[in-house]
Amino acid sequence: MISCEDLSVTLPGANGPVHILDRVRFSVHRGEFVSVLGVSGAGKTTLLRVLGGLQQASEGRVSCDGAAVSGPPDGVVMVFQDYTHSLLPWRTVRRNVALGVEKLNRSERDSRVDEALAMVGLSDRDGEYPWRLSGGMQQRVQIARALAMRSRVLLMDEPFGALDAMTRASLQDQLLQVRELTGTTIVFVTHDVEEAVYLSDRLVVLRGSPATIGLTLDVPLPRPRDQVTTKERADYLDLRHQVYEALGHKVGDRTHG
Amino acid sequence: MGRRLNLPGTAVFVLGLGLWELLVRTGLLTFRYLPPPSDVAVGLGELLGNGELATALGHTLLAAVTGWALAGLVGVPAGSTLGLVRPVWTYSMASLEALRALPIVAFVPVAVLMFGFSMQTEITVAFYAALWPILLNTAAGMRTEDRLVETGRVLRLSRTAVLWKIRLPAATATIVVGLRLGMSISLVLTLVAEMVGNPAGLGFLLVEKGQALQPGQMFAGVFVIGVTGIALNATVMTLAKLIFRGQLTAAGET
Amino acid sequence: MRGTPLRGLLPLVALLLLWQLLGDPASPYFPPPSTWLDGITPLVAAGTLWPAIGDTTMTFLLGLTIATVVGALLGTLVGASRPVDRALSPSLEFLRALPAASLVPVAALVLGYTTQMKLVVVVLPATWPILLTCRTARRSLSPILLDTPRTLGLSTWDRTAKVLTPALLPAVLLGVRVAAPLALIITLLVEIVTRVNGLGAALGTAQANFLSAQVYGLLTIAGLLGYLVNWTVTRAEATVSRRMRGTA
Repeated sequence: MISCEDLSVTLPGANGPVHILDRVRFSVHRGEFVSVLGVSGAGKTTLLRVLGGLQQASEGRVSCDGAAVSGPPDGVVMVFQDYTHSLLPWRTVRRNVALGVEKLNRSERDSRVDEALAMVGLSDRDGEYPWRLSGGMQQRVQIARALAMRSRVLLMDEPFGALDAMTRASLQDQLLQVRELTGTTIVFVTHDVEEAVYLSDRLVVLRGSPATIGLTLDVPLPRPRDQVTTKERADYLDLRHQVYEALGHKVGDRTHG
Repeated sequence: MGRRLNLPGTAVFVLGLGLWELLVRTGLLTFRYLPPPSDVAVGLGELLGNGELATALGHTLLAAVTGWALAGLVGVPAGSTLGLVRPVWTYSMASLEALRALPIVAFVPVAVLMFGFSMQTEITVAFYAALWPILLNTAAGMRTEDRLVETGRVLRLSRTAVLWKIRLPAATATIVVGLRLGMSISLVLTLVAEMVGNPAGLGFLLVEKGQALQPGQMFAGVFVIGVTGIALNATVMTLAKLIFRGQLTAAGET
Repeated sequence: MRGTPLRGLLPLVALLLLWQLLGDPASPYFPPPSTWLDGITPLVAAGTLWPAIGDTTMTFLLGLTIATVVGALLGTLVGASRPVDRALSPSLEFLRALPAASLVPVAALVLGYTTQMKLVVVVLPATWPILLTCRTARRSLSPILLDTPRTLGLSTWDRTAKVLTPALLPAVLLGVRVAAPLALIITLLVEIVTRVNGLGAALGTAQANFLSAQVYGLLTIAGLLGYLVNWTVTRAEATVSRRMRGTA
């Protein structure tokens, strides 16, 4: 559905051009949950921004549903890690969620916003201003905003990175639930191996400088998943092992029956 | 601040001048008394040649700098008192703020009333105008730095020592800002006084050339005023750096 | 300054009282405050005072408005792009260095002794504070805030109206807070020097006719105007800032 081929991105840096991505080949199919894993600064965000039409590729082709991507494509919405600066502080939660759907008529808009808020569990906070909400809630507002637009693809840039572990776990599960309901395609960038394995159908590791795809792994863990039993499964642990190895960590031999 | 020559910036400036010249010469800009840059250059030459510029500049500088210096001599000690002695602050700030709301320009007719058409009017107006930023900045500068003062107490310094060794240096940067502002304002008000009161100096030169329908020379006068303002500001800054180098470096100004 | 103690008004009040008590009503230079109202009365009777105040206020408001629009637009433009900033800065800085006072005779000669001329002289210097605050604010706008409307598929108009403008509004108001008193001063300046119309012209005329009580009376009115402008603008800026930042 969204794909890129021979994607290279070079950006101007303080000491000359920096080669961020080198001939990356990547694709996501409809309804898939794909995680892009890599260490900070590896180029994951750049890849996401190029897919989202917010950044130009220096070389290579990016396409969405067959059409070339030049600006932000319809139906593809990015969710940023920095929710503080993405939500408009002068708008209430409700009006923030409505930001993407204000072209619609009143009743349609309202019903979409209600629906989105319900999906993230914030229906009762819709009249408040973002600064009154916790970090986790603010991030949910951002997600609700994308949901209200009935986006087909969500590009999520380390969305839970700024949150504490418990909130993160809770939001991960909420995200999976929402996906169950809507069937949205998700490209999820993270540096957290556990998160990547737990959430995805498929996992891609970005490595090196300039970055290239190091490993692609299918994650055939059964759904629905939960934070405890899924993470105790042998195949989960096995996948984890593979990923850490692919990232270059020294891992001991796996002994598990 | 990049020390490289700002090529695009200079280019735009030069192009701007060129455009101005073009528009006036080709008659596209049809203001009767708008001179093209070339006429302004000629005017500048004329003024320099016949000595009018030198006389006027000297007069204005004398008035502006005198007014400013007096404002400094009064403003820095007064501001220090204001900042250091709490009761003085409490019992005068509101009055000062009320007075400050009075637009200074409006005082020029008052000064003319009292001193007539003389250098005195100019100096008085310049003094009054420059006094405000100097006074208030000095007061503000002296008021702050409780942390540093505490350090002084911990080191068992006497109150005088605290004043000289801690407060003054810390306040220096702010005081210098006040002095710079004061210089600019002093110049401006001197010019106003010359336009409205005393027929002498650069301000009067502008008015005179305007009435004599000599736009080239008038614009040249404006240019000289602009350069003078920049030069005075830079001079104050340089003097400050020379005299107060240590304090300013500490405050991060150099 | 917040909450300056009112007792601070004592010196001013004392000064006025002293002046009143010791002043000689016949003094050509220092008529006591009680004579000031009488000094203005002829103007009220002749029907010139209120129109004068009106002229000054009109020029001030209109000039400030134009300066706000121009300053905000230019500031945002320059703040949005480093290359544009570099290219325009030297010229803008040069223009900024020219004191407002020096522009008055120039404008009077080129544009004539008209209200439009007054407006031009007021707009030019008043633009700078607003331009500068908008430039700084635009430069420091989070790229995420600017990317958000793009990823949501908002049109350029919507981006500007719904995101950029509200985000820059506090900066604009901050600039206006600095520019407003400046605009008033320059309005009076033009009026005093050129005597076109307004409070400043009245001041100049009173001074030329040696009507010192009238001069002081008009000065007081100018002061009240200045105080009103300061107060209004400070309150407006504080209120909107609080709302925009989402703090209460």
